[in-house]
Amino acid sequence: MNRLKIFRNLVVPVISFSALIGLWELIILWGHVQGYLAPTPLAAWEAISSNWSTLWPLTSWTIKETVWGFGAGAVIGILFGVLMSKLRFLQRSLYPVLVVTQAVPIVAIASPLVLLMGFNLGPKVVIVAWIVFFPVTVNVLDGLNHVDHDLITLARVLGARPWRTFFLIEVPATITPLFSGLKIGATYAVTGAVIGEMAASSGQSLALYQHTQIGQLNSAGVYGTTILMTAIGMSWFLLMITLEHLCTPWLRRSVARRWSRGARTLDNTYVVKGAK
Amino acid sequence: MSIVGPSGCGKSTLFNILSGLLLPDGGEVAVGGKSVVGSTGHAGYMLQKDLLVPWRTVLGNITLGAALTGRVTEEDRRQATSFATRYGLGDFLRHYPGSLSGGMRQRVALMRTLALNTELLLLDEPFGALDAQTRFEMQQWLLSVWRDSQRTVLFITHDVDEAVFLSDRVLVMSPRPGRIVDDVEVAITRPRTLATLTETDFTTIKARILRQLHRDAESLS
Repeated sequence: MNRLKIFRNLVVPVISFSALIGLWELIILWGHVQGYLAPTPLAAWEAISSNWSTLWPLTSWTIKETVWGFGAGAVIGILFGVLMSKLRFLQRSLYPVLVVTQAVPIVAIASPLVLLMGFNLGPKVVIVAWIVFFPVTVNVLDGLNHVDHDLITLARVLGARPWRTFFLIEVPATITPLFSGLKIGATYAVTGAVIGEMAASSGQSLALYQHTQIGQLNSAGVYGTTILMTAIGMSWFLLMITLEHLCTPWLRRSVARRWSRGARTLDNTYVVKGAK
Repeated sequence: MSIVGPSGCGKSTLFNILSGLLLPDGGEVAVGGKSVVGSTGHAGYMLQKDLLVPWRTVLGNITLGAALTGRVTEEDRRQATSFATRYGLGDFLRHYPGSLSGGMRQRVALMRTLALNTELLLLDEPFGALDAQTRFEMQQWLLSVWRDSQRTVLFITHDVDEAVFLSDRVLVMSPRPGRIVDDVEVAITRPRTLATLTETDFTTIKARILRQLHRDAESLS
């Protein structure tokens, strides 16, 4: 049973992914596609591995942009969501403004940001945070607004203080929507970082590297860079899935793990004492 | 004591006022001679839905009241553990509610209410969603809990059998406006068993309550 589950969740995606790469390789080889138009996956991989010493600093730079941007976006997103669910007038006044921020084309805010913050890390972090916070806010707000009202009533009957109701009832009930927002944000984070690099780069970045590869008609380099960027985005997504998994044990398990919060409240000595 | 009455006569509203969730338009709520109008925490209140929080274990759910009002102390855990052990859920302390049956969930919900250690328990159709057999088991169980804890239990139900079986006193309410139209004493000896349900005393009392409940319906025909 359990082995079957592992097979379904791990082996099947690996197979489908490998099939896709195989298909790519075959199309290029059998279709006699010229190397400068599109590379084989193997060539793209070689373009990464043979230039790793150049690419790694650029990649780590992009990762740094997403770390700060995603972190800031997540914190700001959660903050907005919580504040707006608690203060109705904020929800009415702030929500439309937040929607407007997302309607502005990201590329168009990049240039003003360069004027304000220069060519360093600043504008990229702001752009990533700008994209990430919105889905987080929307999902957290929706989640908090849709907590089972009877549970809130129950908490009142039990004599709860408001902030305890918030942390013990509302927050756990909002974990799933929160992670929906974070997962959407995670996939967008790298997009934001690359847009930032394109619009506001001082020379050394993955986006500019890719641009020079295009100039040299080095398709393998272009695709290799894209693969690196994709890998960053996927890592964020996988990180979020893992975190969500760890934060919601009750969705999959019937018994709490011994080291989890739920189990820690059980002091085994009392079972023994009670039996006496 | 049980309260029976047709839907919409204000049984649950009465409980909401007694528990302090709602303010009455007038009148007094007193527990042990002390007025408690509009304040919560003096009564344990259990609703038809079990309202267990899925992210806390059975133990965590029983101690939820303590967690919401202060710290969960060793004493709270000891009490919760002894409740669960005594009432057949000792092996399920670390289980999440998602893996429990309907009857078990209701038992956990009642233990959570008991763990508040209030003198007064308000139970609003706690067994309404259970099948007949589980319901009878739960009634037996409730009687044993009541015997152990010696607390005052106010019980809302639609089921006249249930009301008579459990109670010393049954209040009958009329439809809008909600008034208490009868106050029936149930002088049937305890412990009560399955046989009680078919005794003459039982059926006489049941007939009287049913007549009160369906007065309007009869006058229409």
